[in-house]
Amino acid sequence: MIQKSILFLLLFALILSCQSRKGKLADAELDILDSLELAADLQISEEALDEIVQSVSSPIEMAALIKEIGTPFSLDYLATTDYVDRYNTSFQMAYSLGAFGADLGYLNIYNKNTQIVDYLTAINKLADGIRVGQFFDFVTLKRLATSRENIDSLMYISVNSFNNIDSYLRENNRGHLSALMITGVWIEGMYLATQVANETPNPALSERIGEQKLNLNNLFLILNPYQNQQQIADLLAQLKEIKEVFDQVEIIYEMGEPETVEKDGMVMIVQNEKSIVQITDEQLQQIINKTEEVRNQLIAY
Amino acid sequence: MIRILTLILLGFLFVFTSNIQAQSAADIVEQCASDAGEDATYLKDFIVKLGKAKPGSKHPVARYPLVLSKNNVYRFNVCTTEQSEGKAIIRIYDSNRLIFSSYDEDTQEEFNPFNFRCQKTGIYHVFISFIDGKPGEAVGILSYVTK
Repeated sequence: MIQKSILFLLLFALILSCQSRKGKLADAELDILDSLELAADLQISEEALDEIVQSVSSPIEMAALIKEIGTPFSLDYLATTDYVDRYNTSFQMAYSLGAFGADLGYLNIYNKNTQIVDYLTAINKLADGIRVGQFFDFVTLKRLATSRENIDSLMYISVNSFNNIDSYLRENNRGHLSALMITGVWIEGMYLATQVANETPNPALSERIGEQKLNLNNLFLILNPYQNQQQIADLLAQLKEIKEVFDQVEIIYEMGEPETVEKDGMVMIVQNEKSIVQITDEQLQQIINKTEEVRNQLIAY
Repeated sequence: MIRILTLILLGFLFVFTSNIQAQSAADIVEQCASDAGEDATYLKDFIVKLGKAKPGSKHPVARYPLVLSKNNVYRFNVCTTEQSEGKAIIRIYDSNRLIFSSYDEDTQEEFNPFNFRCQKTGIYHVFISFIDGKPGEAVGILSYVTK
């Protein structure tokens, strides 16, 4: 009898531990197939895909540049969290998770803790919805945001949570959701940058937008393996419209050798090889318009 | 029955041990990100575990691609775990060209962390290895330095 009870308890604990990884909204409509079928269509190796995913630059860098050029904070640039409950397909949830992640980066850079809580709540719901809530330490993040006690920790845990979600999805054959999340991060970051550039033109920002040509090319490599899914094929068609403008942007290079200097007691390597982005005002305007169109369609609820 | 119970218990022990290891990696990443300094914002981490170099062959290396952006200052730092036999080195490459290494083999000097002022947007590679090809575990951190 005792042995049976122990066995029952162990099995019960095992079931509970398995359930806790699924998240609260495990029954959400999963409109995109999990990737067992998708894996058969992969055109490049998973290792190469992992490398491309890892190489995509962080939205924090774009948000930091927006702040550095003196742009005042504006909530108008951000995707609203009011309708998060209406995102009920895995496509919408994974994409919006990325988009809100980019917005969270912007809010973190400007230390807007009140709004951060709204975005954390929305991200938590979406993360649960695609069963990655276990990587998002909502309680700690909310405590940090409301107490204003440690902005650095808030930033660290936010970015680290997204990195962990992305790794977990790719390691568990759900790379298509990681690809959608990364696309959401990129498009929302582009939307922020292009809206600021539209209102207050700035050469450094224009150049950074032009450089996104590299990240956009990587996005195609990340999404292409899943193009047999209609929603991803449609997304690729939308991105292709942005890419057609980016293809006209040229990046040229000036050669130079790196120098090592010491600054504030730390070694600094200064690169003298330079990239120069050649982007016309017309091209920039086309990118601004196209990005806005695509982004607004994707976050429509 | 006892055999079944033993197997289940062993299974649990395995799961718990894995969790403890994962927790340790998370702690090391957090500590190492904090070591980067107050002016640095964490962007990415690279968790590395490498075996011992085989005689006559190249030292094992972990390699990670990165897109770095012009006009940004990045900080690279690496933390070797307590249980690691070898001491970690972090290097940054532009294509096949070494830009900088946190360890100078000739002088045995260490430069950890170091900053990199990027002037060319493009794909770079971070390499992490261990001095003398010893086995080891380490965490590399890429941060954005606030201007």
